[in-house]
Amino acid sequence: MVQGAEGCGAHQPQTVGRGLMESMQRVTKAAVVFLVCVGILTFAETRKEYRFTVGPKASISIVNQYGPISVKPSPGNQVVITAILRSDKVEIDNDQSGSRIDIKSHLLTGATADNGRVDYQVLIPADASISMQSATGPLRAEKLGGDLTLEGAGALVDVRDVSNVHVHVKTMNGPVTLTNIQEGHVEISSVSGDVTLSSVSGRLVQVSSTSGKIHYDGDFGSGGEYSLTSHSGDIDATIPPDASVDVTARSIRGLVENDFPFTPKTHTTFPLVAGSSFAGTIGKAASSVVLRTFSGKIRLKKR
Amino acid sequence: MTCAEFQQELPDVLEGASRAELEAHLRSCPNCSELVSDLKAISEQAHQLRESEEPSPRVWKSIEAALRQEGLIRDVSTEPRFLAPASRRRWGPAAWLVPIAAVLMVGMVLFINRPLSGPIAQRSRQPELGGISTPASMSARASNDDDRQVLSEVERHAPLMKSAYEDNLKNVNAYIRDAQSSVDQNPDDGDARQYLMQAYEQKAMLYEMALDRSLP
Repeated sequence: MVQGAEGCGAHQPQTVGRGLMESMQRVTKAAVVFLVCVGILTFAETRKEYRFTVGPKASISIVNQYGPISVKPSPGNQVVITAILRSDKVEIDNDQSGSRIDIKSHLLTGATADNGRVDYQVLIPADASISMQSATGPLRAEKLGGDLTLEGAGALVDVRDVSNVHVHVKTMNGPVTLTNIQEGHVEISSVSGDVTLSSVSGRLVQVSSTSGKIHYDGDFGSGGEYSLTSHSGDIDATIPPDASVDVTARSIRGLVENDFPFTPKTHTTFPLVAGSSFAGTIGKAASSVVLRTFSGKIRLKKR
Repeated sequence: MTCAEFQQELPDVLEGASRAELEAHLRSCPNCSELVSDLKAISEQAHQLRESEEPSPRVWKSIEAALRQEGLIRDVSTEPRFLAPASRRRWGPAAWLVPIAAVLMVGMVLFINRPLSGPIAQRSRQPELGGISTPASMSARASNDDDRQVLSEVERHAPLMKSAYEDNLKNVNAYIRDAQSSVDQNPDDGDARQYLMQAYEQKAMLYEMALDRSLP
């Protein structure tokens, strides 16, 4: 086309211009196709599956810099790990030593949060314990019977339907939700992520936060120790009318509200100030509950 | 010499100053003696951590070459790599901040749990003396330096996370200040001490996350 335009001489400038434009369009199209191909090659997802046979009470560790980890129970004694790798900028290192399995996303040169992402779907025997780390998360675990450790700076953490286990959670600003945890030993530490506990009970339930809010909705079990502490975050606890707790609530600079009639305590380790602290028993005082915030607000609400 | 007067001399005592009246007070006061002993132990631990810097890169290179010859490792990138522990490889000199934070936290726990009575309790109720470097003000300065170093490491390795860490460190430092002031005002308040310990635990956790060897 361009040659044709040249042959026609300068008296046909429109044809020359159109030819140039079409040529440029072709080059642009080719460039786009090339870039798409490169992109597909670079960001091509790869699915990998790893299977391990383990003994009872296996221990599994997964470290994933970028991306979610979701764990569910498997029947039998198999650990099945399905990983979707976002690109060839990330590999998976795996190692089994007896009933201990270590999985780690291994970032290669040039990896970023996008192309270094790996999505893990993990099935483990119900009695296995698991430790999972991801900076971005989310981290999810459900219906498991072994100890759980979940850590991630900005990772959303969601644990549900587990019983008789230790659950340890650490986040910086990632929100934490625990639902239906029975007879647990729960320790949660989050600097600014909100923590929501629904139907969580056990021998020890401890939440420590700096500026995140803490919500508890449950009955505080029958014989555990519950400690919810924050610096500036509010603490809301909603419990049924027949709850049985020995409760101490104190906000040094904030307010405390309480829906329940309670039998006041005569001895406390700090002076009680109306509106900002109270201590007493509700029902038979089966569980010990301590709600503490420095400048947040505490509400003990009746469900 | 009272405990308050002795504690004003603490920086000199820790530097090794030896005067008759200081020695006499140390012999007669178990609380101050224990305090000096704890602070010296913490200081020694910190020095040992600094001294236990990794061997030179040449040593790691040699080990790497040997392992490569054995076929135990393979190339995954073209950039120079050392087989130093992962945390050091990623964070370099800042890696020692985590154990330092832990040691400081242990020291803080020892200090917080120290029985407060008599002259020490009076001292802790006194406002900080202007112009005098008390252990608290020295600790605050050290803490600011550590924060800056942690943030610069985060900026270098995970720049997108820097503002989040900055905000959270500010919050945690505010927590520590409030809790410390509460302990100063009410040294016998168990809750106040609990707040202070939890505030330091939150800071230690933040440092640990910021310098985590396996995450960005």
